[in-house]
Amino acid sequence: MDLFLQLVVTGVMLGSIFALVALGWVLIYKCSGVLNLAMGELTMIGGYVCLGLYQKFVTFMPVNTAFVIALIGTMVVGLFLGLLTERIFLRKMIGEPILAVIMVTVGLSFFFKGMVFIIWDTDTQVFLPRIFSIEPIVLLGVTVGSVYLWSFVAALVLMVVFVSFFKFTRWGLSMQACADDEMAALSLGVSAKFVYALAWAIAFMAAGVGGTLLGNINGLNYSVSSLGLLVLPVVVFGGLNSIPGAIVGGITIGILQNLAGGYLDFYFPGGIKEIAPFIFMVIFLLFKPYGLWGWERIERV
Amino acid sequence: MSYLPCGQYFESYFADQKWWRTPFIKAKMIFMLVIVFALPHLIASEWLSVFYTINYYILAALGVQLLVGYCGQITLGHAAFVAVGGYTSAMMVLFIPWPTFMVDAGLVYPISIICAGFTAAIWSVLFGLPSARVKGFYLIMTTMAAQWITVPLVITQYVSQIGGRGQSFSLPPGLIKIGPWTIDDDTKIYYFSAILVLMCMVVMGNLLRSKIGRAWIAIRDNDIAAETMGVNIVGYKLLAFFVAGFFAGIAGAFWISALFFVSPEHYEWFYSLLWVGIILIGGVGSIQGIVFGSAFVVIIFKLLEMSVMGVSDFVMTSYPELGWITTKIIFFKESAFGLAIIFFLIYEPNGLSYRYWQLKNYFNLWPFSYTGK
Repeated sequence: MDLFLQLVVTGVMLGSIFALVALGWVLIYKCSGVLNLAMGELTMIGGYVCLGLYQKFVTFMPVNTAFVIALIGTMVVGLFLGLLTERIFLRKMIGEPILAVIMVTVGLSFFFKGMVFIIWDTDTQVFLPRIFSIEPIVLLGVTVGSVYLWSFVAALVLMVVFVSFFKFTRWGLSMQACADDEMAALSLGVSAKFVYALAWAIAFMAAGVGGTLLGNINGLNYSVSSLGLLVLPVVVFGGLNSIPGAIVGGITIGILQNLAGGYLDFYFPGGIKEIAPFIFMVIFLLFKPYGLWGWERIERV
Repeated sequence: MSYLPCGQYFESYFADQKWWRTPFIKAKMIFMLVIVFALPHLIASEWLSVFYTINYYILAALGVQLLVGYCGQITLGHAAFVAVGGYTSAMMVLFIPWPTFMVDAGLVYPISIICAGFTAAIWSVLFGLPSARVKGFYLIMTTMAAQWITVPLVITQYVSQIGGRGQSFSLPPGLIKIGPWTIDDDTKIYYFSAILVLMCMVVMGNLLRSKIGRAWIAIRDNDIAAETMGVNIVGYKLLAFFVAGFFAGIAGAFWISALFFVSPEHYEWFYSLLWVGIILIGGVGSIQGIVFGSAFVVIIFKLLEMSVMGVSDFVMTSYPELGWITTKIIFFKESAFGLAIIFFLIYEPNGLSYRYWQLKNYFNLWPFSYTGK
């Protein structure tokens, strides 16, 4: 039972990072209908940018301040990268077939991956000096690494910020309108191009923070970008165009992955932890093709 | 493709449905066949590997084209089925104690190719089953899951451990025999690949102009309408997965004869994406598009590789202090490839076969072409 509780709690905390990245993915899909396969590379870029900024700032600042400033800097860089990516590559693909758009995001992922390795090399890099202490924290009888706890807190805060942005601000409302019915939104004066750009910028920011947090947990290397594929089971579980679905799905997949690693690894040695979400996804799709809260598409001839 | 020059009439349906309908097309195709089979004598032998790589990509992309271009089922996990084919063939050749007369007659490898086709086809149908319920994005997910379940888990963790040789199975030279011929040099590999490609293309072309192909195209265009017209959509979708998997299995079984070994790195997810990229570059829904796309991708790769070698040699001799560039240059190559795909899709969304079609139309009416302005 102890092990189970332990796995579930760390799963929830890891899952909150997945949820944050999935949120960015869902925003892009909802607003512009682009299935983004480059999410993993966006995460990786964010992590490396934050690492670079942190290493610069930490020379003349206390550790915690440097990290917070580096995180904010990452989000600013993400904002501009998102706007640029949308403007240069995705804007021209509006109205093209779905597969062509997917392949453009695949091309983007090759491009970004190459660029990251050119600039930062392929070796694993860690945030030094450590930002979070190695001392674990005992929480309700469960020991949790403090980096997990802080990641959980940060992911939660950001999710609240993004969701309230989406719900209560003018820009957020225009994004909602565009996601709901693009034609109607356009006729009411919402600029679709602006909404697309905003969606990409938010996705880049969310992915950047997710990458930073993951980099703090395991160190930064190529494996961070596997998160970009893990996002897919998350959004399938929650429903493609549902923001609460992305959050619930992220946490569920986090728990599931941890449980699979904890229990199944003994019976199926080697990579079951990475594969379990995908197996779960295939089985889930057979029974509930639109996820928990996805829109069911009604088709007519 | 669909029009005829002036003055050409057919008096029977048989003549109208022929593959090569006019003398000009016949002459062109025979000329192309001659080129294909004379190629090893026309070019330097180190370039042959480029051509059989093109043939391999054509074989693998045939199935993707069938699923994406003709049946509307998007797949992003085709490398898994190619891997199943490759491993089946390699393991049949290596581990089954064949009677000596079969080994001497060179029957082992051909039999293993057929078996590889069927195994890959069954594996493909297994992952095509969700297509009965889901489509579009969700089907992309399940085919991607096929890739993740097959290559990193089943093949790397379990199948590769058979025989205790670690990660890759190597096939000693001389083991791969077809009848009296041992496949051991580039020329033979090239001929073998060319024959396989021609056979598979004939099969696919014939399927597409039969009832089956028309059903697939109906499903692609509108599956609900196809269902109301009485097309059994689940059956035909699964048949499409079966045939595509069969082609993939043959591609995998061929590729082991060129590599002389088989290991999981040759079936990474990258290749699944690459094959979809090939059909997008070549043109979705056209068989010749596969050839154009494969040639484009392989030649781009080759050129990038050559320029990378040239640049790193140049840097090493002229600016030794810039040696770090040579370690990073492979990533420049990757980035350049990504950009090439993106800009191709942005500026040439209909693919190369559309350009070819325009070119043909232009010369058909030349010199009095109608520009439409």
